[in-house]
Amino acid sequence: MIRVERLSKRFGELVVLADVTLGVERGEVHVVVGPSGGGKSTFLRCLNGLERFDEGSVRVGEHTLGPASDPKRDGAPLEALRRKVGFVFQQFNLFPHLSVMENLVVAPMSVLREPRETAEARARALLDRVHLSAKAAARPAQLSGGQQQRAAIARCLMMKPEVILFDEPTSALDPIMAGEVLAVMSDLAKEGQTMIVVTHSMDFARKAATTVHLFAEGRRAESASPEAFFGAPKEQVTQRFLALTT
Amino acid sequence: MLARLAIVGVLAVALAALLTLGLPATAHASPLEDLRARGALLWGADQEGGGPYVYPRDDDPEQVTGFEVDLANALGRKLGVKAEFTQAAWDKLPDMLETSKVDVVLNGYELTPERALTMTPTMPYYVYALALLVRKDDAAITKWEDLYAEPDGRRVQIGVLGGSAAETFANELCATPPEKGGKGCDVRAYEGNTDTMTEVETGKLDATIEDTPIARFYASRFPRLHVVDEPRRNGYYVMYVRKGDEATARAIDDALVDLALSGELQKLYEPYGIWDARQKEIVALARSARFFRVGHEPVATSASEDGGPSDGPAPDAEAEQVPTGRKRGLDVVTAYGMTLLRSAGLTILLSVASFPLAVIAGILIAIGRLYGPRWLRFPLAVYVEFLRGTPLMLQLYFLFFLLPGVGITIPALPTAILGLAINYSAYESEIYRAGLQAVPRGQMEAALALGMSRSMALRKIIVPQAVRIVIPPVVNDFIALFKDTSVCSVITLVELTKRFSILSQSTQATVELMLMTAVLYLVMSYPMSVLAQRIERRLGLEARA
Repeated sequence: MIRVERLSKRFGELVVLADVTLGVERGEVHVVVGPSGGGKSTFLRCLNGLERFDEGSVRVGEHTLGPASDPKRDGAPLEALRRKVGFVFQQFNLFPHLSVMENLVVAPMSVLREPRETAEARARALLDRVHLSAKAAARPAQLSGGQQQRAAIARCLMMKPEVILFDEPTSALDPIMAGEVLAVMSDLAKEGQTMIVVTHSMDFARKAATTVHLFAEGRRAESASPEAFFGAPKEQVTQRFLALTT
Repeated sequence: MLARLAIVGVLAVALAALLTLGLPATAHASPLEDLRARGALLWGADQEGGGPYVYPRDDDPEQVTGFEVDLANALGRKLGVKAEFTQAAWDKLPDMLETSKVDVVLNGYELTPERALTMTPTMPYYVYALALLVRKDDAAITKWEDLYAEPDGRRVQIGVLGGSAAETFANELCATPPEKGGKGCDVRAYEGNTDTMTEVETGKLDATIEDTPIARFYASRFPRLHVVDEPRRNGYYVMYVRKGDEATARAIDDALVDLALSGELQKLYEPYGIWDARQKEIVALARSARFFRVGHEPVATSASEDGGPSDGPAPDAEAEQVPTGRKRGLDVVTAYGMTLLRSAGLTILLSVASFPLAVIAGILIAIGRLYGPRWLRFPLAVYVEFLRGTPLMLQLYFLFFLLPGVGITIPALPTAILGLAINYSAYESEIYRAGLQAVPRGQMEAALALGMSRSMALRKIIVPQAVRIVIPPVVNDFIALFKDTSVCSVITLVELTKRFSILSQSTQATVELMLMTAVLYLVMSYPMSVLAQRIERRLGLEARA
């Protein structure tokens, strides 16, 4: 359902993404790992148009994104694509002036024109699922980091995305809070939610991934099942990376 | 959406400006016919100029009195119309005339060749001279020549009203001292008519030169001052009508001739103590005018047979219009408190009506500059820089006095509200620009990632956060605007500060009035600060705690 073809992006001389091609099928969980500055986050941000790219294409369902030159990029087609693609940020990016409940219902109500009652009912069910029922009326600033990230995941789920992109969702959290968030993500994965996850958590990659990719210097260096990736990495760069992180 | 709104708004304004610039000014029938059809003679004057010309009435400070008020009413009766007073800053009266906001300027305007170039004068209605006023206990100055004397080895300090005939005269006087005397004297120009007299009284100045009506009228107010030597340099007060409006000028001349020859003019001036021998010249002028068949009534009247109205100064006992002592302390509060309070009402109206407009325009401009299309950013930057970089007074002046030239005439109050809103929209937009930029980038990204359009994200997510950030500077701006409303007096509005100036010039109770005015401003602005602090605390808690 996602097809990335020969994606390339440069900042002047610096090549950020070089010829990345990748496919994701419904229900799959793709985990992207690799050294910092390897282009993982940029790759993810290109998939929902937060970042422009210079060459190649991204197709999600029936929506296609082209290079930066495409003038349609900033209009309705992009918004339509983003409704199908959820995004979870490293810094959560909850809206600080709204309560947790309002954070969840603002997009469905304004973008999908969903009535408040049904939106709030769904929001309550989702908050229950991420163990935040008691925090519906709280402001984001009154929540711990882990709680904020779980609320952000719930907010993302409100739009019923076909795929969710996670951009280092636990990097700003301590291990306990990271564990809470990864547990929620694992649950989602088990339920068949299509996801692409950029993370440093090798544990999550090992347990939840369908496929693990290693990005280095803007290239997809290696892609394999978790067993093959961690058990018998083919590429030198992967071996070096795994030696350093595990 | 919002960015688009901003574009549409700016385009509409630009288009309106273009269209109106192309339009010719609307053609008028003869101004005299207009005046008669309207049934009102609109005459302009500045009551801040004070007595005996036009000044606030003692029993009702929002009404005016003065010999020019009585003269205007008498003229109105002769012309068969009602005389209606229009308040305007003294130096802006020619503009009021030019833009047809008044029919005639009647406010101690001297007959000068320069003014006669741009306006049409009537015949004189008063002959003034320049009187030398000094302290009674100052024995050093008893005649004009003493001004060069350097009594204590220093130059004599002379105060005059800036831009008046007295200033010209004083400059000439000090520039050409007699050969054997001292080295000359210093002239200092003041804004208010009576400021110089106060300064002589307190000793900061040695002397002041005033028009005879003022010297006469304020004699009781400044008991420590007296006139020395003979007044010099006679001059004429005339009325001015629009350049080329001969019909109105002649109609006023007719009426003036009748008033002078029937003795009505004398009766009208006497209560103010300003009918003196010099006015014989007015009667003589009227008589020759009558000879040339100006005026309506038969030439022969008993009064004019034996030398016209009586000469000499009016007796003090009958001078009921001449002010008595100064009011002091609580008397000032009770007499003028309500008047000041009502003027404070106008100050509040001006700020409360203009500020929301400034805020809305400011937000739209800020959004246009940050998120709008590239071609819009430059014009918006120009708009902001232009309005920030030019004085509010000039902008109001432009809207009120120059736009009528291209066919746009807006009454004073809407002009003031519009002018303040436009001026402050520039400041507001910069505050909001800072506020919008202070909202973290991730907020826009999160909103976009949820499928919101840019404009929806701005409305629902970014602007509400920016508004919270900018509360303190916005409140600051509001308080500044609140006080800037005083500039609106250049376009005829008598708000709190102007009312203070008017009353202080006519009563000399400056200290009391200043305190009352300051307290009123404070009482009005302080609750704003408190309210703002409260909002800030509440929203601050919401966002962070």
